[in-house]
Amino acid sequence: MVLSLACCSALCGQGNKGYVTGSLESNSIGYVNDNRIPVTVPEGGIGSNNYLKVDYYRGALSAGLQAEAYAPALVGFPTNLHGAKLANFYVDWRSRSLGLTAGTFYDQFGSGLLFRSYEDRALGYNTAVLGGRLTYSLGGIVDVKVLGGLPRLPMTAERAAADRHVVYNEWSKTLIGGADVSLSLSNLLGWESATVAVEGSVLGRRGAVEPKAVAAGVDVSQLNVGYSGRLNVESGGFVARAEWVDAGRNYFATSIAPNGYFVKNSNAQLVDLGYSGGGLGVNLSVRRLEWMESLIDYTDVVRGDENITNNYLNYVPALCAQYSYTLTNINPYIPECYYINDYYGLYSSGEIGGQLDVYYHFRRGTLLGGKRGMKMNFNLSTYYNLKEEGSALPDNRLWLNVNVGMEKFFTRKFKLKALYAMQQRNINHGMNDVSATAHIFVADMLYKYTPKLSTRLELQYLYSQDDMNGYDWMAALFEINWAPRWSLYAGDTFNHGAERVHYYNFGVSYTASRTRIALGYGRNRAGLVCSGGVCRTMPAYTGGNLTITSSF
Amino acid sequence: MKKFALAVLAVLGAGVVMAQIPSVKVENSRGKSIKTSTLVDGETPMILSFWAVSCSNCILELNAISEKYPDWLEEADFRVVAVSVDDAKNSAKARALAEGNGWGDFTLLYDKNQDFQRAMNAPVLPHVFVVDKTGKIVYSHTAYQAGGEDELFNVIKSLK
Repeated sequence: MVLSLACCSALCGQGNKGYVTGSLESNSIGYVNDNRIPVTVPEGGIGSNNYLKVDYYRGALSAGLQAEAYAPALVGFPTNLHGAKLANFYVDWRSRSLGLTAGTFYDQFGSGLLFRSYEDRALGYNTAVLGGRLTYSLGGIVDVKVLGGLPRLPMTAERAAADRHVVYNEWSKTLIGGADVSLSLSNLLGWESATVAVEGSVLGRRGAVEPKAVAAGVDVSQLNVGYSGRLNVESGGFVARAEWVDAGRNYFATSIAPNGYFVKNSNAQLVDLGYSGGGLGVNLSVRRLEWMESLIDYTDVVRGDENITNNYLNYVPALCAQYSYTLTNINPYIPECYYINDYYGLYSSGEIGGQLDVYYHFRRGTLLGGKRGMKMNFNLSTYYNLKEEGSALPDNRLWLNVNVGMEKFFTRKFKLKALYAMQQRNINHGMNDVSATAHIFVADMLYKYTPKLSTRLELQYLYSQDDMNGYDWMAALFEINWAPRWSLYAGDTFNHGAERVHYYNFGVSYTASRTRIALGYGRNRAGLVCSGGVCRTMPAYTGGNLTITSSF
Repeated sequence: MKKFALAVLAVLGAGVVMAQIPSVKVENSRGKSIKTSTLVDGETPMILSFWAVSCSNCILELNAISEKYPDWLEEADFRVVAVSVDDAKNSAKARALAEGNGWGDFTLLYDKNQDFQRAMNAPVLPHVFVVDKTGKIVYSHTAYQAGGEDELFNVIKSLK
C-alpha cells in the first residue's frame, strides 16, 4: 500500500507540486443511407464531437483548459460548432474568503432565469463567459459575486468572415456585467434551527449593433438591465424558495409589429415549496413566465439562423415530470416563454403553471412495504398560456401530465419498476383548446442471477387516439449486464399506429474504472433530444456510433 | 496480500493520479453553502457519488448502496456522499426524490451549476469515487451495472 502510494506520488507530482486531472469525451457516428426513413447523411458520412479538459490544482491556485474538435459536428448539432479550437481556459485563485477567476467560467444567478452560463454537451451548449469574476465571503453572512465578460457564442461562417479583424471568433460581441449578493439572516442572527437567506442580482447586457433594427427605430445593442430578488427558507425538513425576475427589455422579431420588432419586458416568478422527512418527499413548484427569453446575440445573422440553438443568456427549463423511457419522451413539454405566429398574426406572452412531485418510501415490515420495502412516486404538472399580457390568469391548457410509478424488489433477485403516465399536449400552442392525449405504460424488470450477472427487460406501450405522433407505439429493450465492466443491449421502438417502422438499436459497452467505450448501431427517429429540460430537434439517422469517455 | 492487490488496483483505477478533492462551493441539505474540502474529516473514508434525477442508473446504484449500507457499516466505518448535479429543472425534485428513496443515511449535497462535478472531472453519469480519510481519491468508476456496488465496498475495506 505504502509502496504503491509512494510510487504514484513520484510519478504524478503529488504534494506541494500540485496535481493534474482531466477528462476526454469522444462521440462519433458513421451515417448510412436507409430506404425506410428519410435520413440525413452528411458529406463524408461521418460526424464526431470531441472534448478534452485538463485542470491543474496547486493549493489555492488552479488553472485549466478545454479543447474541442468537431470533425465535423454530429448531425443536428448547432452548425456554428466547427473545427478544432482551444475553447475554454482559466486561472483561478481562492483563499478562505476571496476568489478570483480570469479567463472562461460558468456561473448562474439564482435558478438561472436571469443569467446562467453553462455547458451541456448533449445539446452543443457552451455559454462560458470570457472575462473575470470576483467572489467575496464575509464570515458566512454576506456573499458577493461580481463578474463580467463576453459569453461564448461560436459564430456563423458568414459572421466570422465579416469579423476577420477579430482574432478569436469563438466569443460573441455581447458584453455582460453582473453582481449577485446573498445575505444569510440565519447566520447573522445566529439561528440554529432555520436557514434564511435573502438574495439579489443585477445583470447588464450590451450587444452588437444590428443595422436593420436601428433602421426600424429599435436598437438591440443598447444596454439592457435585469434584476432578480430571492428568498430561501429552510427549517425542519420544510423548504420554501421564491424568485422574482425582471429580465429587462428584450426584442422579438415579428411581422405582427409594424416596425418588425416587439420590445417587451421579460419577467418571471417562481415559488418552490418542499418537505422531506420520514421517507416522504414532496415538492410543489409554481412558475409564471412572460416574454422570458434573453439572447446573447440579437443580430439577424445569428438569431435568424435556426441552427444556432446555443444563443441563450438565461435558463428556462421545463418544470415537469422527468422520464428516462423512450415512449414517455416522444412528446416532451417545452416551456412557452412566449409564442408568436406571424402567419396568423397571433401571439401569447407566456405561461403559468406548476408541478407537484411526491416520493414515498414504504419501509420494510409495513403493510405495503412487505419484506423489502417499496418506493412510489407521483407527478402532476400542468401549464396554461396567459390570458393577456401582464396578467397571471390562465387561458387554454398547454400541457397536463399525471404519472404514478412504483419500484419494488419482490424477491432478493427480482425487481420491478412500473409506471403509468397520461400526457396531454395542446397542439396549437394554446391558441385554441385542442389537445392530443397519450397513455403510456412501462414495466422495467431487473433479474439478478449472481451478484455480478443481471438482465433487465423494459416493455413500453403508448396508447393514443390522436395522430399527434402516429397513434400507438410499443418498445422493448433487453440488457445483459456483467458488473462492473460489460453491458450488452438490444431494443426496438415500433410505431404500429401509422408508419410501421422499426427503430432498432443494439450495442455493447465496456467500462474499466474511469474509461468507458460504447459501440452501437441503430435507426433513430427524428425528434426532440432534451437535456436539462432544454430541447434540440434531431433529424433522423441510421448508423453506428462510438463513444469513448475517460477521466484521469 | 489480497488487500495489497486491491489497493494497487484502486490506485491504478484512479488513473495513477492521486488527486485530492478540490474545494468548491455546494449546497447542503439545509440550503447552506459549504466548501467541499470540509467533507474530509481525517477519520473516515467516503463513497462520493454524482447523480441526477434524469440518471436512472445513478438512482439504481445509490439504492443498491442504501440497501447494503447498514450491513457494510458493521465491517467498516465510512460515509456515503450523494451529490445531485441537477440544475434548476430538477434540483427541488432531487431533494424529494432522495428522501422518498430512503437516502437519509447519506450526506446529500446539491451542485446546481455542476462546479463540483466539473472540478472532479466526472462528465458522464453515473460517476462514483472512493475518497480516503485524508481526501485523496483512491478509486473511481463510471457507469453502473447491478452488483457494481460490491467493488466500491471492497475498496473501502482495503483502506482500513
